[in-house]
Amino acid sequence: MLELSNVEVSYLGVIRVLHGVSLRVDDGQIVALLGANGAGKSTTLKAISGLLRSEEGEVTGGSIEWRGQKITNRNAEEVGKLGIIQALEGRRVFEHLNTEENLLVGAYQRRDRSAVRDDLEMVYQYFPSLKELRRNTAGYLSGGEQQMLVVGRAIMASPQLLMLDEPSLGLAPMMVEEIYGIIRRFSREHETSVLLVEQNVRVALGIADYGYVMENGRIVLDGSADFLKHNEDVREFYMGLSATGTRKSYREVKHYKRRKRWL
Amino acid sequence: MAEFGQFAITGVTVGMVYALIALGFVLIWKSSGVANLTLGQLVLVFSWFTYGMLVQAGFPVWLGMPLVVLFAVGVGWLVERIALRPLIGQPILSLITVTLGVAFFIEGMVSFIWPKSVAALPRLFPDEPVHVGAAVVSQEYLWAAVISVVLFVLLTLFFKRHRMGIVMRAVADDQMAVQACGIPVAQIFSRSWMFACALAAVGGVLMSSIGGITFGLVETGLKAFSVVILGGLDSFLGAIVAGPIIGLAENVGGGYLTPLTWPGVREIIPFVIIVIVMFIRPHGLFGERRIERI
Repeated sequence: MLELSNVEVSYLGVIRVLHGVSLRVDDGQIVALLGANGAGKSTTLKAISGLLRSEEGEVTGGSIEWRGQKITNRNAEEVGKLGIIQALEGRRVFEHLNTEENLLVGAYQRRDRSAVRDDLEMVYQYFPSLKELRRNTAGYLSGGEQQMLVVGRAIMASPQLLMLDEPSLGLAPMMVEEIYGIIRRFSREHETSVLLVEQNVRVALGIADYGYVMENGRIVLDGSADFLKHNEDVREFYMGLSATGTRKSYREVKHYKRRKRWL
Repeated sequence: MAEFGQFAITGVTVGMVYALIALGFVLIWKSSGVANLTLGQLVLVFSWFTYGMLVQAGFPVWLGMPLVVLFAVGVGWLVERIALRPLIGQPILSLITVTLGVAFFIEGMVSFIWPKSVAALPRLFPDEPVHVGAAVVSQEYLWAAVISVVLFVLLTLFFKRHRMGIVMRAVADDQMAVQACGIPVAQIFSRSWMFACALAAVGGVLMSSIGGITFGLVETGLKAFSVVILGGLDSFLGAIVAGPIIGLAENVGGGYLTPLTWPGVREIIPFVIIVIVMFIRPHGLFGERRIERI
């Protein structure tokens, strides 16, 4: 179980971007972290995975615990050893390496060679198109294939907690469905916890068990996926649907904005 | 014709040693984006250390050479640990400047420990010359070429097949993504410095077994630099191809031009090549086309 309580993060010691974030990911659970640009979703992930440091950020308050162990401000390597693996936003494949090499980099820290080979086969089973492209240079793969590769690479690390940063970014809806299907399947088959950062609220809540909504560095709303899917504010502000479930008609929108209830 | 053959063989073999040293540069550049300006001084100190082992301490070659490589690896570890690691995350220019500082430090240490300015290594290779066609080549050159080729093949296999080599290439592409996989990037930097130093040591021994140990070895580092600029800063293949080209230009060009112009003209040829390359192909023969500023 991952538990963040009241986490505050500052960049360069002065720019406070998280103001007390608390959230929980139970074992085997898929949790979605939703919110607009700049809400602090990616920063939250980086605070957990220890990648803040290379961006001059630091957890300045609160605590992050993984299975009872405090991991606040540990570096990425130590956090990785505990099985917490983050896939960065923006399809960051190793462009000059081929598909299979990319996947093997994910498994670099693992000692058990035969397990790595099994997992490689497993990833190819999840994403058959990657198997056909195993010798192709990753930089020339299509966007969808690159995103599959990034997810596959994270799976190769045999994670206990998989953190994905916007896996749907810039992908066609079909591709998004496919990748999300695999994420759910992997999580169910291996009882892996998944913490998912998304702007595509509909898809994210489609596979998540629980969700948090972030705004301006705070959690403003949380609840089960079903609860959030039917929440009026979430529907209006993040899914673009009006209270009756139809698409919003801009003709009826007044020139004043409706206030969000949580503000 | 015999004269040309002579120049060409000398050029290609010396060029291969340059390429070997240049590979160390590319390695560090690729994995951390740092231009290692210490190369020449590293070549110098490792050559003197070889002298210390084989002549001053009187160790046999089979014991002395592994010690030299071990020493080189240790120096690589130390430089990365003491000079570079504290600066991770700082502007890249600071790191490059630090390598320059390390270079002067090493140069100072060398003249402190070995105040003699010239020395010769004992013969490492048999001394009867080999006839290649009409040209006569001493065995040092041929051994230098053979050892360089063997090391190229090993390194290429390492980067293609070995886990660590693959990760080193990955670090070159995207450091942060490698970190996100839970891989200690600092350790990878450390390894690439160790490798680069081992290469500089082998290169130094080969160079000084050909031409003796002098302060001129520092220029070997500069020539390795011209090799990477010609080949492309981030390309191993570039270094391997550009090394013999630089060596050839230096020896063939120097061989024919010296009688016509002035002695020492060969020393400037590699640098003239750098200037021309910078005009025509700023990213080198095989380098990635992107904007890099040193």
